[in-house]
Amino acid sequence: MNNTWGGMAQYDPVTWHWVIAVYLFMAGLSAGSLLIGISLRWANNELSTGAESGILKAAAIIGPVAISLGLACLVFDLTKPFHFWLILIHYNFQSVMAIGVLALLAYSPLAFAYAVLVLRDDLPKWGLGFLTPVAKLLMPFRKLIEVLLFVLAIGVGAYTGFLISAMNAYPMLNTAVLPALFLVSGLSAGAAANALLALVMFKTDSHDKTLVKMHGLELPVMAIEILLLFMLFCALYFKGGAAAAALASLSSGLWASVFWVGVIGIGFGIPLLFMLLPAATRHTKGAMIMVACASLTGVLALRHFIVYAGQSYLS
Amino acid sequence: MIGLNRRTFLKGVGASGATCALASLLPGSLAALENKQLKGMGKDITSICEMCSTRCPISARVIEGKNVFISGNKAAKAFGGKVCARGGAGHSLLYDPQRIVKPLKRVGERGEGKWAEISWDEAYRLIADNLNKIKKEHGPEAVAFSSKSGSQEKHLFHLATAFGSPNTFTHASTCPGGYEIAAKAIFGTKVKRDLSNSKYIINFGHNLYEGINMSETRGMMAAQMDKGAKLVVFEPRFSIVADKADEWYAIRPGTDVAVALALCHVLIEDNLYNKAFVERYVEGFEAFAAEVKAYTPEWAETISDVPAKDIRRIAHEYAAKAPHAVVDFGHRATFTTEEFEMRRALYAANVLIGNLECKGGIYIGQKPADYNKLAGEDVAPVLGKPGIKDMPKPQAKRIDQVEEQYAMMWTSGGVYQTILDATLSAVPYQLHGWVMSRTNPMQTLTDRARVVETLKKLDFVAVCDVYISETAAYADVILPESTYLERDEEIADKSGKNPAYYVRQRVVETLGDTKPSWQIFKDIGVAMGLGEFYPWENMETLQMLQVNRDTDLLRRIKDEGFVSFGKPLMLRDAKMVADFTKAYPSARPMDDDGTYASVLSFKTPSGKIELSSAKVEAMAPGRGVIKFREVTLKKADELYFIQGKVAVHTNGATHNVPMLASLMSDNAVWVHPVTAGKLGIRNGDPIQLTSSVGTEEGHALVTPGIRQDTVFAYMGFGSKNKELVRATGKGIHCGNLLPHVTAPVCGMTVHTTGVTLAKR
Amino acid sequence: MNKRYVMVHDENKCIGCQACNVACRSENGVPEGVTRLQVRVEGPFGEMPNLHFKYHRVSCQQCEDAPCVKVCPTGAAYVGEDGIISIHTDKCVGCMYCVAACPYKVRFMNPETKAADKCNFCKDTRLARGEEPACVTVCPTDALVFGDANDPHSEVAIMLNTKITYQDKTHLGTKPRVYRVPTKRGGIGL
Repeated sequence: MNNTWGGMAQYDPVTWHWVIAVYLFMAGLSAGSLLIGISLRWANNELSTGAESGILKAAAIIGPVAISLGLACLVFDLTKPFHFWLILIHYNFQSVMAIGVLALLAYSPLAFAYAVLVLRDDLPKWGLGFLTPVAKLLMPFRKLIEVLLFVLAIGVGAYTGFLISAMNAYPMLNTAVLPALFLVSGLSAGAAANALLALVMFKTDSHDKTLVKMHGLELPVMAIEILLLFMLFCALYFKGGAAAAALASLSSGLWASVFWVGVIGIGFGIPLLFMLLPAATRHTKGAMIMVACASLTGVLALRHFIVYAGQSYLS
Repeated sequence: MIGLNRRTFLKGVGASGATCALASLLPGSLAALENKQLKGMGKDITSICEMCSTRCPISARVIEGKNVFISGNKAAKAFGGKVCARGGAGHSLLYDPQRIVKPLKRVGERGEGKWAEISWDEAYRLIADNLNKIKKEHGPEAVAFSSKSGSQEKHLFHLATAFGSPNTFTHASTCPGGYEIAAKAIFGTKVKRDLSNSKYIINFGHNLYEGINMSETRGMMAAQMDKGAKLVVFEPRFSIVADKADEWYAIRPGTDVAVALALCHVLIEDNLYNKAFVERYVEGFEAFAAEVKAYTPEWAETISDVPAKDIRRIAHEYAAKAPHAVVDFGHRATFTTEEFEMRRALYAANVLIGNLECKGGIYIGQKPADYNKLAGEDVAPVLGKPGIKDMPKPQAKRIDQVEEQYAMMWTSGGVYQTILDATLSAVPYQLHGWVMSRTNPMQTLTDRARVVETLKKLDFVAVCDVYISETAAYADVILPESTYLERDEEIADKSGKNPAYYVRQRVVETLGDTKPSWQIFKDIGVAMGLGEFYPWENMETLQMLQVNRDTDLLRRIKDEGFVSFGKPLMLRDAKMVADFTKAYPSARPMDDDGTYASVLSFKTPSGKIELSSAKVEAMAPGRGVIKFREVTLKKADELYFIQGKVAVHTNGATHNVPMLASLMSDNAVWVHPVTAGKLGIRNGDPIQLTSSVGTEEGHALVTPGIRQDTVFAYMGFGSKNKELVRATGKGIHCGNLLPHVTAPVCGMTVHTTGVTLAKR
Repeated sequence: MNKRYVMVHDENKCIGCQACNVACRSENGVPEGVTRLQVRVEGPFGEMPNLHFKYHRVSCQQCEDAPCVKVCPTGAAYVGEDGIISIHTDKCVGCMYCVAACPYKVRFMNPETKAADKCNFCKDTRLARGEEPACVTVCPTDALVFGDANDPHSEVAIMLNTKITYQDKTHLGTKPRVYRVPTKRGGIGL
C-alpha cells in the first residue's frame, strides 16, 4: 500500500542525537575525573602535604569544565534553550531528569569550588588571583567538600546511565547495567583525561607516582567495562524478542562499525596493545598521551553507540 | 461575523518556506495578496462539499478566527454527519497561497508559464472578442464548452447555448458515463444501489473504500460489519475493498464481463432467476438467455482466472439472498472497449434476481413530483426551473454526432474526447475555441500528448479554475473561480428513496479577486452581447425562482442545509409501501401484493426493462443483445496497466491542495514480487513504464497485492506544469500512458493498456 | 465516579482513509510536517489470496501508566483531572525526554510552540464544548468510538464487553486507553 498518511520523519525512534551523546560523555568524564583524582589523593595520603598532585589538578579542571560543556550541550539541545530555567523551578520527582538536575545543581558549584581550592597556587598565574581569598575561605571545608563531591560524582556518573535506562521503550537502554557501565566508562575517560592534562598542562613526569598508580587502575576498570558490556548483550540475548532483535546493532549498520572500531578497537584494543609493549616504551609521554586519547575516543564512541543503537530498536 | 486573519492562518496551515517562496512567484496567486482580513459568515454554516463530485452535505465552522473545521451535515442521515479526508481539507484549498485569485492572461507561448494579471473587465473583453470572432468566422459551433458537473456545468452550458454552440461536454465519458448509458439502455434511466440493506454484494472493483462516496461507503460498511452482509470482490489488485471482502478474486484485468455473464448463465441455467419478475417487466430475456447459454463458468474461468466452481457457488449464494442482494454496477474505470456490455451484464445479473425497488437491491429513486403524485398530497415542494422561454436551440450538429452509436451519450455529457478529433482532424468539422470550467482533461482524458497538441492548435482557450491546473497552464485566459467555501449556488435535488434538497452556501467571505462560476459565465454572456439570456440578477434571485418565492422554504433549506421530505419508499417493498400509505391517507392504494409494483414503468422504447434492445441494435448493429467479445488490451510481453482512486485525492483536482499533498504526493507503481524479481526491481527502485503513447518515470512498490501480469498506479499524479508546485513531477501520469480509444455505444475513454516495465 | 475516557478503533471498519488525520489537523491546528494522528495501512500480509492489511491507528495511547508523565522533569506532561494525559505547553522546556520515552512514538515537538505535543482526545477543543473528538466526529465508516468506559451504559463500555479487543505494547505496563478491534482476517475472529 502506498503511504497515504503523510510524513514519517517525526516517528524516527532516534529522538536524542549526538549532542546528547556528548553531554552524557562530558558528564561521565567530569564525574570520572574527579572520582579518580579524589580517590588517588586519599589513597596517597596527600592530605596534609600541601602540594597538589598534577593528577588532582587535572581532575579539578576537568571536573567543572566538562560538566559545564556538557550542560551547555544539554541546554542548547532544548527546543526552548532560553527557558531552561523552567527546569530549575518545576520538579517532578518521579523523573530521573529532575533528580539529575538537583544533583547537578549541587555538583557543579561544588566542582568549581573544589577547583578553586585545589588550584589556589596556580590561580594568580592564570590571572585569577582574585579567587585566592575564596580558596582560603574554602580551605577549612576541604574534607567536607571532597566527600560531598565524591558522593555526588558517583551520582552524576551513574545518573547519565539512569537517565536513558529509565525509558522502557528501548530494550537496549532499559537495562540495570547501564548506570554501572556509564559510571565505569566515565572512570576510564576520567583517568585518561587526567593523565592527558597532567602530562600536557602540568608537565607531570610520566613516571610520577600518582600517575603510575592511576595507570595501574586502567586495566581493572577496562576489565569491568568489558564485563558490563558483555552482561548488557547477554541480558538482551536471553531476554529475547525485541531485546534480542536489538543485538542486530552489533552486526549491521553504521553503529556496528562505531562499536567494533571505536569502542572495541580504539577504546580497548589500543590501550591493551600498549600494555604489551616494554615498560620503557609504554611509560613514555607520547605513548601515554596516545593511550589516553584512545581511551577517550572509545568512551565517546560508546556513548554514541548506546544513544543511537539503543534508540534504534523499540520494544 | 468572525474575523479571520489570513496570515495567522497561513502560518497555521504551515506552507513551508520553500513552497511559499515559489508560490509568491506565481502571479495572481493568493500568496501575492497581503494583509487581507478575512471574515467567516457565521458559526456553523451548512453547505455542499466540492472536493470531489459526490458533493456531500457538509457543515463548516470557523475555529478561533483562523481555521475552518469541516464535518458532515448531520441532517443528511445517509451521510451520517461524516466527511472524508478530502472534504475535511477544503479549507486547505481555500487558504492555499498557490491558489489563483486574479484573472491571468498568457504572455508567453501556450504552456510556457508566463502570465500577466489582468482585470476581470479585460478578461471578459478578451474572451468576448475572441469567441465572437470565432463565431463570426466559423460559426458558434466551432467553440467547445466543457465543465465539471454541478452548478458550473449549468451556467457554462447556458452560456454555450446562448452563444449558439451545441458542443457541451461534462467529464462523463472519462468517468461515470459507462454505467449511466448502460442503465439508460436497460432501464431508460439511471439507477441507484441500496448497499446498506443488502445481504449479498458482488463487487467488480468498485472501490468504495478508497473512491469514497459517503452514503454508499457508509452503507456498504454497515451492511458488511453491522448486518453481516457478504461481500465478494473481483479485482486484479488487493484494494481496500478487496481487503474488506469476504472473498477476493484477483481477476484478470478486463475480463469482468465474462464472470458477470457466467453468473447470469448460472442464474438462468440453474433456474435461480425470478421468473415472475422477468415475465412482468423484462423485454428481450429469451435472446439474452440464448446468448448466455454458452457462457459457462468453466468458459469464464479460462478467460478470467476465477475458478468455475466459485462462480457457480457465488451465483447460488447470491440468488439465495434475492431480492436483498446486489451486483454493484461500478463507477469510474472503463476497463475495456466492452464497457457497455460489461455494465449491461452487471445490470442483467440484478434484473435476473428481481431486486429492482427492493431493499438491498437497485432502485430508481423518488423525485419530488412523482412522490407527491403517489402520496396524493404535496409532501415535498417541487422546485421551479428558472429558464429562458424560447431559448434558441443551436443549429449545428454536435461534434460527437458522427456516429449514431453514441446517441445516448449526446444528452448525457457527450463524448468528451471528440474535442481532440474535431480540433486535430476537423472531424466532423474544425473546432477553433475551447472554454473550460473546473475540468482537467490533461489528467482525465487519455493520450496527454494529443491533449497538448489540441490546446496548442486552437485559436483560443479560456479556463476557469482555482489553480493553474495542467490544463489551465495552456490557456490564453485563466479565470479564478471562488472556492466552494466562498460560493452560493442553486438549490440541488438530492433525492434518494424520498425527496430531498440541499444547497451550497458560502462559509467565508471571498478571498482575493475571485468570482463564482454563475457570475463569471453571466458576465461573459453579457460581455458577448447575450444579456437578453440573463434576466436574473444574482444567485439569490435564482434561488427565489427555484422556491417559487417561498421564502420560508428557502430559509429552511439554508438553515438546515439538507432537507428531506416524506418517508423512504421503494416500490416493491411491502413494508415501506404500507408505511407510506399509512402516512398519507390519500396515497395511491397499494397493489394486491401490498406493494406499488404496478407503478414501475421504464422510459425504454418497450416500456420494459430491455435486457436486449432493438434501439441499441439500431444504433450499433450487433450490440442489441449483450454479448462477449474478445478484446486485446496488451501485447503478450506487456503488463496490464490499471489505475484506481485513492481516498486522499480526487482524480486530477486535489494534488496541489497543501494538506492532501502532504498526505500523499507520489504514486509508487504496484508490482508483484515475482515480476519485480525477474526485472531485478526492488521496492522503492526507480522504474519506467512505457506504453504505445508515452513513457513515465516513477518508483516501484513491490507488493503481493497485485497480479503478476499487472501493474497499478493511483491516478491523478505526475502533473507536468510547473505552476502546480506540490504535484509536479511526482509519480506516474496515467493519462500519458493511456492511448486514445473510445468504447462503443457509451463513448468512454478506456483505462487499461499494455506497458513495459523497466528499472531505471 | 471518575471518568475513564477510552477510544476504540475497529480495524474491521477502518478503511485507512485519513479523514481522522485531516480533521485532527484542522480542529487542533496541527502544523504541517508533524501529526497527532495517522492511520497506517500496513501490509498486505499473508499469502495470496489470503492477504490482509493492518489498519494501524498511530496516536497517543492515553496510557494509564504513562512513561511520558513519569520522565517529564518539569511536570509539563501531566495527567488531567479527567485522566487525559495532557501537556502544560508553558512548563515544557523541550528536553524531548517524553518524546524519547514514549514507547508508541506519538509525541513530537510542535514547531510553533516548541513544546511537546500529541493527541489529547481534543480535550481543549471539542471535548471542552461537549463534542466528540474530531477523528470520531468525521470517521466515515464509524470505525472510532469514544466515551467513558466507567459508564457501563456507554457505547465504549458495551463494545469492550462484547468485542475482542487488544491494546498495543501492553507488556510495557502502560495500560493504554486506545483499544483496537482486530480484523477478522489476520486477527481473532468472533
